[in-house]
Order: sequence, then structure tokens, then C-alpha cells
Amino acid sequence: MTKLLEWLLGVSLVLAAWAVVSFDLLEQRLPQSYREAAWPMPLYLLVSFGCYSLGTVGYRVATFNDCDEASAELLGQIQEAKQDLRKKGLKI
Amino acid sequence: MATGVDQAVGMSLVVFSLLLFTYYSVWVIILPFMDSDHILHTYFLPREYSVILPGIAAVILLLCIGAFTAVIMWKNRKPKKVD
Repeated sequence: MTKLLEWLLGVSLVLAAWAVVSFDLLEQRLPQSYREAAWPMPLYLLVSFGCYSLGTVGYRVATFNDCDEASAELLGQIQEAKQDLRKKGLKI
Repeated sequence: MATGVDQAVGMSLVVFSLLLFTYYSVWVIILPFMDSDHILHTYFLPREYSVILPGIAAVILLLCIGAFTAVIMWKNRKPKKVD
């Protein structure tokens, strides 16, 4: 059983469960409020995934560390490299 | 720690996504179980909009991505070389 088949099986099981609840395919006669809450579920999962992604991106932007020492070191190394290449004839 | 604008933008994104998630969750999951004369219903649009608004947002997102791609490709077109 490949990973693709496993995922497809899982997704189709979830979709089948959703369809049975939303459209009352098994004549369960569930209360209307359950059906109303279950019907937008795929869209709700998509929206919450989007919110989670947005929140994670925002959080990582806010907590990204500036590394001042590394930045200074890198600039120094760039200067060194430029001087070295100029000595060897490359025009910068 | 990232400073200044970075922190402000990041934190506002986090707060915005939390607010959006909470509002949408209450709208989709909790409201159907409240009686129709509950005061909470006055804060939320009719339920059809809970499907229409994300649909419109998705269309706008795709439009923006398409427009951005088109602009970039337009700027990078090179005239054909004449041999």
C-alpha cells in the first residue's frame, strides 16, 4: 500500500463520513442543527488551516532573531574577499 | 529578537488570524446550536455568507497571484535576437 493510496483512502473515508452526515444519506434523521454545523466542514478546515499558516508566519516574523555579530563578521569577510580579488586583478 | 516594524507586523498577523479563527468557528460550529432568538445571532451575518465570503477571498487571492505573475513575466520579456 503506497503512501498515496493510504492518503486517498483516508481522505475518501473522511469525505464519505462528511457526506453521510451533511446530506443524510443513511436516513439517520439527525437534528437539523447537527447537519447545519457539519455541512461547511471542508471549507471550515481550509479556513482554519489558512489562519494557522498566517499565524505561524506572523509569529516567526515577530520572533526572528537578528544576529548582529554574524552580520558584522559577514561584512568583514566580504571586504576581505573584495580586496583579495582586486589584488588578483578582478575589477569590482 | 526582531525589532520595530517586524515585531508589530508579526504580532498583528497573529492577532488577526486568532480573531478570524474564533469568529469563523463560532459562526460555523456554535451558532447552529443556539436558539434563533439568542442575542449572539445579532453579531453574525446570515449563514450563507460563511460560505460566500471565503469563496470571494479565495478568488481575490488567486487574482492577486495571477496579476503578480503577469506583471513579473511582462517585465522580464526579452526581445527576440535577430541573427
